[in-house]
Amino acid sequence: MPDAVVLDLVVNGESIQVLAPPHLTLLEVLREKLELTGAKEGCGEGACGSCTVLMDGRPIRSCLTLAVEAAGHPITTIEGLATEEGLHPVQEAFIQHGAIQCGFCTPGMILSAKALMDRNPQPAEADIREAIGANICRCTGYAKIVEAISSLSSNREDGHE
Amino acid sequence: MSEDRTQYKYIGRSLPRVDSRAKATGQARFSADLSFPRMLVGKVLRSPYPHARILNIDVTRAKALPGVKAVITGQDTHGEKWGVFPYTRDMQMLQTEKVRYVGDEVAAVAAVDEDTALEALGLIRVDYDILPAVFTIDEALADDAPLVHEDHPRNRNVEVNIDVGEVDVALLGAYLVRTDTFTAPEDDYFMAEPYAVCARPDADGNIEVWCPNAGPHMKAKPLANVLKLPMSRVRVRKIAIGGAFGGRSEISPADFLCSLLALKTGRPVKIVYTREENTITVRQGHGMVVTHTTGMDREGRVAARSSTAHLDGGAYSSTGPIAVSVPFLCMEQTYRLENVRFHGVRVYTNKPVRGMIRIHGRAYACGVDMQLDMMAADLGLDPVDVRLKNARRPGETTATKSLVGSCGLVECIEKVVEKSGFREKYGRLPKWRGIGLGLNSVQTGFPLGIRGGSQAMIKFNEDGGVSVISGVVDNGQGNDQMIVQIAAEVLGVPPNEVDLITADTEVTANDPGSYSMVSTFAGGNAVRLAAEDARRQLFEVAADQLEANPADLVARDRKIFVKGSPQRGLALAKVVRLALIQGRPVMGQGSYSPRVDHGREWVSNPEGQLSEAFSFGATAAEVEVDPETGQVKVLNVVAAQDCGYALNPMVVEGQFEGSVAMGGQGGMLTEFHAWAGGHCLNPTQLDYQVPLAVDMPPITPIIVETIDPNGPYGAKEAGMSVAMSAAQAYACAVANAIGHYIKDFPLTPDKIVEAIRTRAPRAPREFGSGNLFDHVKK
Repeated sequence: MPDAVVLDLVVNGESIQVLAPPHLTLLEVLREKLELTGAKEGCGEGACGSCTVLMDGRPIRSCLTLAVEAAGHPITTIEGLATEEGLHPVQEAFIQHGAIQCGFCTPGMILSAKALMDRNPQPAEADIREAIGANICRCTGYAKIVEAISSLSSNREDGHE
Repeated sequence: MSEDRTQYKYIGRSLPRVDSRAKATGQARFSADLSFPRMLVGKVLRSPYPHARILNIDVTRAKALPGVKAVITGQDTHGEKWGVFPYTRDMQMLQTEKVRYVGDEVAAVAAVDEDTALEALGLIRVDYDILPAVFTIDEALADDAPLVHEDHPRNRNVEVNIDVGEVDVALLGAYLVRTDTFTAPEDDYFMAEPYAVCARPDADGNIEVWCPNAGPHMKAKPLANVLKLPMSRVRVRKIAIGGAFGGRSEISPADFLCSLLALKTGRPVKIVYTREENTITVRQGHGMVVTHTTGMDREGRVAARSSTAHLDGGAYSSTGPIAVSVPFLCMEQTYRLENVRFHGVRVYTNKPVRGMIRIHGRAYACGVDMQLDMMAADLGLDPVDVRLKNARRPGETTATKSLVGSCGLVECIEKVVEKSGFREKYGRLPKWRGIGLGLNSVQTGFPLGIRGGSQAMIKFNEDGGVSVISGVVDNGQGNDQMIVQIAAEVLGVPPNEVDLITADTEVTANDPGSYSMVSTFAGGNAVRLAAEDARRQLFEVAADQLEANPADLVARDRKIFVKGSPQRGLALAKVVRLALIQGRPVMGQGSYSPRVDHGREWVSNPEGQLSEAFSFGATAAEVEVDPETGQVKVLNVVAAQDCGYALNPMVVEGQFEGSVAMGGQGGMLTEFHAWAGGHCLNPTQLDYQVPLAVDMPPITPIIVETIDPNGPYGAKEAGMSVAMSAAQAYACAVANAIGHYIKDFPLTPDKIVEAIRTRAPRAPREFGSGNLFDHVKK
């Protein structure tokens, strides 16, 4: 096994070459090589969801994904969600609905929610709970998180709160 | 307080939290996210044995490994022992003589990268003499038990004895007496963020420390003690904190090891715990065995209760005296008890160290409510009526002499009972469905001596910008927002324009931390007083300019003007500048020390005012049990709490909902630790089952406001009593559903199936149908 390999990554729309040992996880490369610390390590075994990032638009556990597997696949981290126009609607909904307490699970939670909304703009509550079912939050009891995501559903009746 | 509450502009409103934008964008920095030039990676070598004497530690090979910059053992420390109380100092940060649990700290290294640090740990050779160990309360208390600490015979660590009234007489005279034993193994915090600490030395001998904490000042003092440095040299800095729940209150050996490695190498050092290390070596909830003997009169009034609690405390004292007392105290606040006895014993075992947790004493509290249900059934009484008969009222005094000021417990019960349809449902639900009710009360601060009060300052920039300086820390519950909303209200500036300088021991003054649920009460009051002090000064300057009476001025929308005449006013920035030019710059100061009895001591004198205010709560839970699998589906939860006044209802609701998850859903259905030979069998996030989004029932939060006369804007503690009352409600609901009282918590499917299969149902399905057992006096 070589000591280091050159990885051609596309992170938040930017093409980046990283020289890294081939055993590094995507999470390690994001946090330690690219200083994108929004993705967190909560358990290191794919159980908590704090390290969730999007690869090809789908939520993945970056702690269980080798960085070499991500080469050539567009990666979105929490740092890549807001644009010059402002925050992503999911971020804004989380803020407005009080869905953020300690904030450690928030980046992964928001990315799982974004992936859901991208593939299903009208999720039922059960869909929402399932989509974030692998993102553990210890603070909120998930109620305000579900409310925040529900508020974005395009079939939501006006005035429904 | 005779204020018109409808006039508040920011207080009492569900404003989004000031810290949420940084957290939503990934910009919030947690301790593990920090990095500094030339930073080293620290790792800790831990004991593989539950109990062993350290004969020799050889670090020669580890030190020789290229890339290793420092290796430390107990020989490099002052051997200082840490304890929350002078009489509980029993924990070294690195063990010098023996190890007392699997995970005890033995050595630490700092190296250029993680791989090198881990390799170095493998090169440290430790010779142990393995000693016999104790793993359960019974083993620890046995006559010939090996001693975890040689100076504590029979491993008795802390004992608390309380005896008020005439318990024996009252029990003899009671109409019905029951004795039941309730048990629960250890539970755990599983805060989202695994422990991490970063320490950076400077050329002048100071050390900066970033770590999760429930009070930076409560960290800095013990850290200074064990490092033998003046407090001014130890600077605990503000950092985002990924949850605490009681598990971030004390100094962690990691704080000390990281600081010492940094001082030795002259370089920044970071230690990041694995999830398993966080579970094993930070703190856990106590295992507990509780026996309640309760006497009741014919009408359902509790005449007397005698309770014994044994707590498995693990290897060191931690917050032992508090941990032993609090389960009793919460219940003596909740229910009137004229005749009450409590005997609490915390024992040492060769297991990880136990501290306070959000649902501390689940066996105790669930036991109280479950036993009330049993006795109500025996007497043919309604469980709601029995609770109402015994529930605390305002103006009363607890058994250990705390005056209860504001108290909305009855209102909480009534609202929860109505909203949940309890009276219509109890005894009338379809088979395998049940409903339960739990009541609880928690403190808003403890007697914490010189660290009990909080101090705050307000300063202004020349453009009118406001900065609040306060030692209050935010672990995730929203304390930053609490401070901002209070300062904004008093000074009449938008909350998002209030800058915070908080939780940094170099800058901020004394504060008790969020430990003991006191942040809003002490810290919030201090900020309010500081802001009022600043406003008074601003009004004096403005009054001169406006030729008005300072008493007629108001501050609102960044202006100071004469009440009722907004045109007769000045911009806040203008007043600040006038004050500067007139040589009387504005600087607000405030401090608040809760009025508690400082003569009260947990062990030697458990009597006197414990806390200036108490919160009260009631929760109802409705469940459906699958008799084949023992799975519990929670259909509905209604949780009410008297939090005094909700400074931000959205934040308060979030506390309630999180409390239901941790206390009820996790604490009563799935969460516990399993053990083998001192090894924790489920330390990881995969094995220890915390609630997921798919598990949670609908929750109806009900905020009850009694406007405490001494809390800031009437606020008290918010949310924690719900964690407890939810656990009690879940326990009673499952019993109601399956017709049997399971007294060993949590109520996992195996126990439920076993109870259904092997024992005749005994818990009545409705009140009035219970048998009168022979312990009832005929």
